[in-house]
Amino acid sequence: MRTSLLRMLMCCLLLPLFSAGQDSASIYTAQLLQPPADSVRTQAIGRLAALRIPATFPLLMAINDKKLYLLDNKAVTINSDSSSKGTYQLYSLYPNNTLLINSSGQPLLLPLSALKTVDIPRADRLLLAGIAPLLNLFSNDPQKRILAYSQLKHTSDSITLRILKAALAKESNADALRTGKDALYAIQLYKASSATNANAYIDSIADNWSDNAPALLRDYARSGFLNQETAQYAAAKAVLLEKRYDNLQRVQHFFSGLSLGSILVLIALGLSIVYGLAGIINMAHGEFMMIGAYTTYCTQLLFTKALGIPQTDLFFFFALPFSFLMAGSLGWILERLVIRHLYAKPLESLLATWGVSLILIQTARLLFGDLTAVKTPQLLSGGWQVSPHLTLPYNRIFIIVLAMLMVLFTYLMLYRTRLGLQIRSVTQNRQMSACLGIETRRVASITFFIGSGLAGLAGCAITLIGNVVPDMGQTYIVDSFLVVVTGGVGKLAGTIVSGLGIGFFTKLSESFFQAVYGKVFILMFIMLFMQYKPKGLFPDKGRIAED
Amino acid sequence: MKTKNNTLLYILFITFFAILLPAGYLTGLLSVNTISVWGRYFCFAIAALGIDLIWGYTGILSMCQAFFFCLGSYGIAMHLLLKKTVASGATLPDFMAWNKIDTLPFFWQPFHSFGWSIVLCLLIPAAFAFIVGLVLFRSRIKGVYMAIITQALTLAMWLIFLRNETNLGGTNGITDFNTILGYPLSSSSVKLALYLLSLSMLCAAYYCCYRITHSKFGKVLQAIRDSESRVSYTAYKVTDYKLAVFVVAALLAAVGGMLYLPQTGIITPGRMDVKASVEMVMWVALGGRGNLKGAVIGALLVNFLYSICTSLFPDSWLFILGFLFVITVLYFDKGFMGLGDTIRKKFSATRLKTSQTH
Amino acid sequence: MLLNVNNLSVSFGGVHALNLDRFSLRDKELRVIIGPNGAGKSTFLDIICGKTKADKGEITFNGKSILGKSEVKIAEAGIGRKFQKPSVFPGLTVYDNLLLAAKMKKDIFTSLFFKSTPALEEKIHEVAVKLSLTNVMYKPAGDLSHGQKQWLEIAIVVLQDPTLMLIDEPAAGMSDEETEKTGNLLLELSKSHSIIVIEHDMKFVEQIANELVTVLVRGKRLMEGTFAEVKNDQRVIDCYLGRTNAQLETL
Repeated sequence: MRTSLLRMLMCCLLLPLFSAGQDSASIYTAQLLQPPADSVRTQAIGRLAALRIPATFPLLMAINDKKLYLLDNKAVTINSDSSSKGTYQLYSLYPNNTLLINSSGQPLLLPLSALKTVDIPRADRLLLAGIAPLLNLFSNDPQKRILAYSQLKHTSDSITLRILKAALAKESNADALRTGKDALYAIQLYKASSATNANAYIDSIADNWSDNAPALLRDYARSGFLNQETAQYAAAKAVLLEKRYDNLQRVQHFFSGLSLGSILVLIALGLSIVYGLAGIINMAHGEFMMIGAYTTYCTQLLFTKALGIPQTDLFFFFALPFSFLMAGSLGWILERLVIRHLYAKPLESLLATWGVSLILIQTARLLFGDLTAVKTPQLLSGGWQVSPHLTLPYNRIFIIVLAMLMVLFTYLMLYRTRLGLQIRSVTQNRQMSACLGIETRRVASITFFIGSGLAGLAGCAITLIGNVVPDMGQTYIVDSFLVVVTGGVGKLAGTIVSGLGIGFFTKLSESFFQAVYGKVFILMFIMLFMQYKPKGLFPDKGRIAED
Repeated sequence: MKTKNNTLLYILFITFFAILLPAGYLTGLLSVNTISVWGRYFCFAIAALGIDLIWGYTGILSMCQAFFFCLGSYGIAMHLLLKKTVASGATLPDFMAWNKIDTLPFFWQPFHSFGWSIVLCLLIPAAFAFIVGLVLFRSRIKGVYMAIITQALTLAMWLIFLRNETNLGGTNGITDFNTILGYPLSSSSVKLALYLLSLSMLCAAYYCCYRITHSKFGKVLQAIRDSESRVSYTAYKVTDYKLAVFVVAALLAAVGGMLYLPQTGIITPGRMDVKASVEMVMWVALGGRGNLKGAVIGALLVNFLYSICTSLFPDSWLFILGFLFVITVLYFDKGFMGLGDTIRKKFSATRLKTSQTH
Repeated sequence: MLLNVNNLSVSFGGVHALNLDRFSLRDKELRVIIGPNGAGKSTFLDIICGKTKADKGEITFNGKSILGKSEVKIAEAGIGRKFQKPSVFPGLTVYDNLLLAAKMKKDIFTSLFFKSTPALEEKIHEVAVKLSLTNVMYKPAGDLSHGQKQWLEIAIVVLQDPTLMLIDEPAAGMSDEETEKTGNLLLELSKSHSIIVIEHDMKFVEQIANELVTVLVRGKRLMEGTFAEVKNDQRVIDCYLGRTNAQLETL
């Protein structure tokens, strides 16, 4: 809304002013490109620099950057970033600054050899030095534009203001637009002659809310203000902005805590069920996560290389069930070969499964090398921009949703199915369950399959936020065991509460201390917590609790 | 019969390591590096004795022995580095200068003196073990819970030691020393002396552990392993006993670490990461837990195997170690020392079966 | 009175496991507690010896409150416990089991520098003879039969020489002959110790119950009286019949 208003404003005000200069600009431009003599060119550049007509800035910019070429006698410049196989995208310069396209509507790509380079001597280019910051307002690179806007803040002559407005009218990048408006409002604020005007600009700055806004308002409040009242108004606005910013930061921390907690819950879920059921400390659990991640990687390879459909998000949604099945099956095999002999011997199982994890890590390293990454699906890249200073990345939202679904799935499986009933009965009393005709071994295998599968799924999800490396499981394993221990073994609710709790707490303490000390702090907290609840959040009572 | 076996084993061990190996070096058959490598293994064996006391005898799986080991090493390393720094006329170790520190941190100060370094190297691990043990044992954290919490503790300490601002050398650790008590570390005779010192410390540690395990104290430890509640109903203060053995184990690990440092010349936080701490437990498991000889032999054997495998087929070392873990736990829960027993039992079981079928 | 219990209650997850208004025990008394399964008998002993924490109530032993004290403190005060499921040290020899139990100073340094004395050896031997453990003295306790483990645990409690012995189902898994021998042993021990015995075997109860028998039902004290009184009480019979335990009726 405000942008379109601004544009209208500029059209009304500036067009009559420009039309006179526009003609002479065309003349000078023509002179510049085909100068009858060097002195004419020098003069033309000097004039153009002095006129400061925004329409000529792309051309002057090209001169300044030594990227001025002729194509069919028309001035063009290249986009140096997008070179593929030695060809470049081209932009026309004057009177319109647009991307050139070929007959089929695709961007025109040409090698440098097809263009005629226009050499402008250094002495002539130096004539542009005075307006170089303004030229950058018309750069192709949004970062350069942002820098140019932010340097403008305290210049206040009317021509600069005019050029700034022209630049803003064609601004397409949201961040750059915000910085640019900041500059515009700041200039106008310092020039404002009535308190009403000043307050209006202060409001505009506050509404625009760039990163710099609080500092800008404080500066204004401290010096250069119109009267005491506006100063106070600006200061109050600055405080308000900072408070709002802090609140948003809090939301951001809360969100990252939630997402870390979700990952921990995803991993610890399987760990907790398996430990509760079979008394197995599965140190290789993290490696099933790694297997899930590599399954995702392989699925991506399969889709892009073997099936030849590179531009698709499809692979990821296939990878989800694949990684569950792959990790689950390997877990099932592991249970048959090793775990089966170690029931109710947690410490022995800890060592044996550690051995298994060494083997799995080394296998992954030999097969895949040290570092690979899965491309984040298009659908999940980017984020939900709640407000300018709060973006919730889609991949993390996805992980949270996935974790919730998996918790729901596990809950339904444990409490609404026959299998779940068997799992719970074996967890509470293995011998008695066997006496009642439950095939405890089969139940254990299935549980191990599901537990490992859940880890695989977690691995698949983690590819969204990190690299795939052979020892990625190790990063999470100790943390997820802490979750299990704090939550109480084999307790769904305990796992969820402690997983989210540890996630939140980690992120919260990271905002006070550095990450490492946050971790130490958490550990101290857990140790103190266990002084009061040595059997976790939800301990069993009575005779079941006997060891 | 059993004592005779033991004596024979002791004589063989002493003859081989105290006479044959040094003799081999003196006659030029063995390089001084081989000697030094075995000296390092002895340090591991000392730490392994501690693990055997706490895990093998008392049944408490402590995963922070690697951290205690490193505390010992770091202490000596700090002393050696300070000595070198002072000798070269600087006031601060190089890495601190790079980190833009201008005064020596307070906790480095006592390490100027060798005596204080030794005292602190023993005192700090002991105090640490005492506090952690007090907190954990008082709240009756045991078994798996204990293992996981000590593991997390080691992880946290590892992270702290990795940081630059803790002024312990960060990821690169502490290295680059030249003398110990004025003797050059690179000289062969110093290396031999350190080897012999390690060997005699190992023997002394073994003797102490032997006395401990064969006293009534040792029996209480085993009783705790078997049935902790019965021990408390028999009016033994279980927490005190656990705490005592935890501190002793920490001290043994620290002594191992102290001797280890001058023989390798470097200590990095990598010595106490998750992998290292599980591996230390594995030495004992492989050698045979609840058996002091097993702990020593396990530590020596695994490390010897490691040095052979990493030079012959570097890629497969982790496979070998992994399989060793699995197979030992599955089939030889008494470890290497129990190998004979296990096989005999299996053999007699099959014989029994066949005789029954007849 | 040696042991006084008032308004003791504990509940597990909403179920009142024990709700005992009053219980007292004279010095050198042998008291038998009977009751159907889930009556709170073992829970009662668990609370006395510190294994389970009570929700409220008070227990005084020798005039001092012991509720909420640690197991070690209670054991030091002179209460020994034999569990329903034998709890011995399976990895140690029978001799070591007995040695650890024997009454002496039990701190770390005493243990570390402990030297056996002839008097102690004599005492261990005496108890071992009494409980027929002499020929398995150097076997690991884990290799003993169930009955032997029962006796070993009783031997452990005896060597501890406590003022009050809490004996949970000593006759379970024993032959008639062994049961009678156990009964005689308990009777002999009761000359110098206070004993609380939990038992289901009514023949055994009849043998040892020279004084009072307490009946617990659903955590509450149903009645207290001599064995004859208890045997003929209609409420007691109903309770047991309701639980398909017809033993009382046949007696």
